[in-house]
Amino acid sequence: MNVAAVLVVYTTVVGFAAPRLILRARWPHRAPALAAAVWQALAVSFSIGIALFAHHLAMPTEHLHAGLVGLLHSCGFDVEVGRPDPGLTDPLAVGVPAAVAIALAASFTFQVMRARRARAAHREALDLVGRHSARLSATVLPYDLPAAYCLPGRRPRVVVSDAAVRALTPEQLGAVLEHEQAHIAGRHHLVLASVEAFHSVFRRLPLARHAREQTALLLEMIADDRALRHHSDEVLATAMYEMAAARPPAGALAAGGHTVLIRLQRVLGPREAPHPALWSSVAAVAVAVPLLPLLVACPPGLG
Amino acid sequence: MRRLGDLEAEIMDRLWTWNRPATVREVVDDINKIRPVAYTTVMTVTNILYTKGWLLRGKQGRAWLYSPVRSREAYAAALMEDGLGASKDRPAALVHFVENMSEEEVAALRKALRNVGRQANA
Repeated sequence: MNVAAVLVVYTTVVGFAAPRLILRARWPHRAPALAAAVWQALAVSFSIGIALFAHHLAMPTEHLHAGLVGLLHSCGFDVEVGRPDPGLTDPLAVGVPAAVAIALAASFTFQVMRARRARAAHREALDLVGRHSARLSATVLPYDLPAAYCLPGRRPRVVVSDAAVRALTPEQLGAVLEHEQAHIAGRHHLVLASVEAFHSVFRRLPLARHAREQTALLLEMIADDRALRHHSDEVLATAMYEMAAARPPAGALAAGGHTVLIRLQRVLGPREAPHPALWSSVAAVAVAVPLLPLLVACPPGLG
Repeated sequence: MRRLGDLEAEIMDRLWTWNRPATVREVVDDINKIRPVAYTTVMTVTNILYTKGWLLRGKQGRAWLYSPVRSREAYAAALMEDGLGASKDRPAALVHFVENMSEEEVAALRKALRNVGRQANA
């Protein structure tokens, strides 16, 4: 069977059908960390699938196994057995997959560096304008609306407005601060940068669009869960509502406000972890999915 | 060892609090009430703040008078809007607590909260 055709089918399934399947499922909001890992795994799997597909298009006559080994070898993996004759390797067969990898890596680096520069400038101004509160382990800014955000990275800052300090109870404020600390401790900005990078390379792909949107929401849920370890459901939910209700209504461009509603209903509703069997099978799929395109392109025992 | 940024913050803090143009000498004398600091150090850092665009200066007699370009509140509002993603070019990694919502969404939130309150009371 034509390997290139199988790879086309596989990447189509991963890029178009799999996102719908996950969006319809109920477990992602019950196990947000697992769901975020699945989106990452799908993105990796799709990228490898595309790279292998390009490789096979460029050298359809080459023996499969030699082609794969050649690809691995050209990517820096030192594969000892069956190293192909360099004279046989078509530059396109290596060049196109390499271009996919380089585009993804460059995009990720660009996202990380750009965000880091913006944060450094923001932090410098923040340290001049805000007042550090040792009690809250946060920077307090004079601002009329209750609000909070965080600057992740190497010298992180949690920022709250003085209106939030006044309007929220100490319990509620504690929940908000813990939510922000969870983003910093979990290095959520790197996860966001990776889906952002994937989206900027495969812009029109449903997987890229959904992975970016869903990952942002899932990271908020992970941070909510962290805040719920030490605070009650109602404290976190009320804090969310107080901060959301005080903000001016969103303009036409601001999107995604409904995610707060999803989060709030999740915080207030029954939050059962998925059944261990479901959890472990999804985890197994998340681990296996990045390897699948390799298995498709090079069935073990047939090389 | 204090960092340069700390002294910058101390200088800005005083100029914002006084809410009037001041000389380097006044700032030095005020910081010296808390801890010793050299005049030349404060002058250098004040000059850095001026070149970074945080301070305006004008000459009065032989001394420079410094004042903040904008109020602390104006800077804070700009930072908040940037941090909360209200500005156009949002850096990908500023994660914030809640986004702006429409009035209907806020109403839906309120309803969800009220329902839970009723269940808890019942």
